[in-house]
Amino acid sequence: MATLIDNGPKAIDINNLAQDDKVHRSVYTDPAVFALEMERIWEKSWIYVGHESQVKEPGQYYSTTIGRQPVILTRHTDGEIYVLFNRCAHKGAKLVGDECGKAKELRCCYHGWRFHLDGSLLSIPLEQGYDGTDFNRDDPDANVQRVPRYDSYRGFVFASLSAEGPDLVDWLGGVASSIDNMADRAPDGELEITGGVMRYEHDSNWKFFIENLNDLMHPMVTHQSSSLTARVVAKKSLGDQPAPPAIEIISPFTESYSFFDEMGLHAFDHGHGYSGGKTSIHAKYSDVPDYNAAMEKAYGKEKVEEIFAVNRHNTVFYPSATIKGAIQTMRVVKPIAVDKTVIESWTFRLKGAPDELLKRSILYCNLINSSANLVGPDDQEAYRRQQTGLESEGADWVLMHRDHGRDEDLGNGHIYAKGSSDLAFRNQYRAWKRYMSEGAS
Amino acid sequence: MTTDDLLFYHRVSQFLFLEARLLDEQKWEEWNELFTEDGVYWAPASWEQPDPFHHVSLIFEDKLLRDVRIARFKSPAAYSLQPFPRTSHMVSNIMIDNREGDLVTVSSQFQMTEFRRDKPIRYNGAYTHELSESDSGFKMRQKKAILVNCDGTHESSSVYF
Repeated sequence: MATLIDNGPKAIDINNLAQDDKVHRSVYTDPAVFALEMERIWEKSWIYVGHESQVKEPGQYYSTTIGRQPVILTRHTDGEIYVLFNRCAHKGAKLVGDECGKAKELRCCYHGWRFHLDGSLLSIPLEQGYDGTDFNRDDPDANVQRVPRYDSYRGFVFASLSAEGPDLVDWLGGVASSIDNMADRAPDGELEITGGVMRYEHDSNWKFFIENLNDLMHPMVTHQSSSLTARVVAKKSLGDQPAPPAIEIISPFTESYSFFDEMGLHAFDHGHGYSGGKTSIHAKYSDVPDYNAAMEKAYGKEKVEEIFAVNRHNTVFYPSATIKGAIQTMRVVKPIAVDKTVIESWTFRLKGAPDELLKRSILYCNLINSSANLVGPDDQEAYRRQQTGLESEGADWVLMHRDHGRDEDLGNGHIYAKGSSDLAFRNQYRAWKRYMSEGAS
Repeated sequence: MTTDDLLFYHRVSQFLFLEARLLDEQKWEEWNELFTEDGVYWAPASWEQPDPFHHVSLIFEDKLLRDVRIARFKSPAAYSLQPFPRTSHMVSNIMIDNREGDLVTVSSQFQMTEFRRDKPIRYNGAYTHELSESDSGFKMRQKKAILVNCDGTHESSSVYF
């Protein structure tokens, strides 16, 4: 059987790998494709770095990665946020070794070069040793380098390692409204990361995860063992008593095909999209009366109804970030190798909302996002079996034909399809193909 | 230390060994019976996590959620548990931290090896058992299992530490 990939990135024929309604198996299995993705997608596009609430005070920093490259998110004494390459200007050691903290300056562990939190050089031990040499402390190269572009949308900081490309708001396009809706759910209109982070290692390619989030044909199959079991056990234990929040969270994963169809899929440029809209699997959580009162006080009844009428499930900011606005959780994608991905889970507090809301988000994360959760291991198993199954030479193509040609164009780059459609995948690969063939941002 | 203290320590140790053994022998219903009606199982996701409500946890389960997890163990649709993982729990360094009336706090260290499909995975950490004692023996008000790498990166796991 002919393969589309030979040795080395130069031989990759992107146009053949991702077609309108199918993709070649090597996009998930070939290390050369992965290397090219790092270069042309992850180190070009806008990638989620962190949330402003992680660096609230001057001196705070948070270290993370963009693609393969270590970076630091900082808050300098000027009150501004910076995204720096995590590399000393001297001999290249990572400047920040821990994950987060607070410091007056960044001091290299090796030769003691000191930098301000905006990256500018502060001091060098025995600096006179450089007198009369070609080293110039006023040269920008003497500073810790800032990444070419970074910007923030309602507290969510994204950065791009490419100097060129659309600005953040244009790039977010139709999915910026998902961030708006999550932040608007706070009576104070702001979100704050809290409650720690969980990191979950997957033995599979990053795209399986990001495709799965708006794959609405899998929950009723993959999640039988958790969701259906939870329904049965709760019914047996509780009879007709109202289900506790944990059961409200797990049960909807085995809603019917028609329920998920009704949720619908929305797709936008750059691979972005969300499922749900008027309804989603988060629609039937019990009301928290104090919360509704705080919201009405902040926004007025009409606006609150408008905010709560938006009930989205997963929103994907392709390729790196995904949020569930209705339950204030976020999962961040960290590709490690062609068959290894780490998924970070974060939780947000809605500022001005009662404690119950945070507790419910935490509960959601424990039940759905933890590495030891009840629901996710079966997703992970499906990705793992795909990763292994696609090593097979039995067939070359991964099929994405469902409802192809039946999308609804809502204008302004907004495409809609019923929930069971393969629209989300086709839309991601439309972006993937453009990034990979042009290296566009 | 009196003979009574030694006997008490022995009974506490035997309870911890029994608890671990029931997990390894996959007798989960019997294991679940070792909890008080409102007893909880907690595997925190950070080292000094004050509570399970304002910070994420790897697992935090009351009786209902343990019933769900245990029922899932037996579901033919639990694809990630095929074949079902075998475990070996080792419990050591047992010390009684506090004893007031019927309430006892016990700390210990554990190692659990989980063998799933193709490779063994090692988990290490500390247990804190909050026990209450009655004529019928000990019950767990809380079993806390904190991994040394609780805030690290983890692979999927479904069984109890």
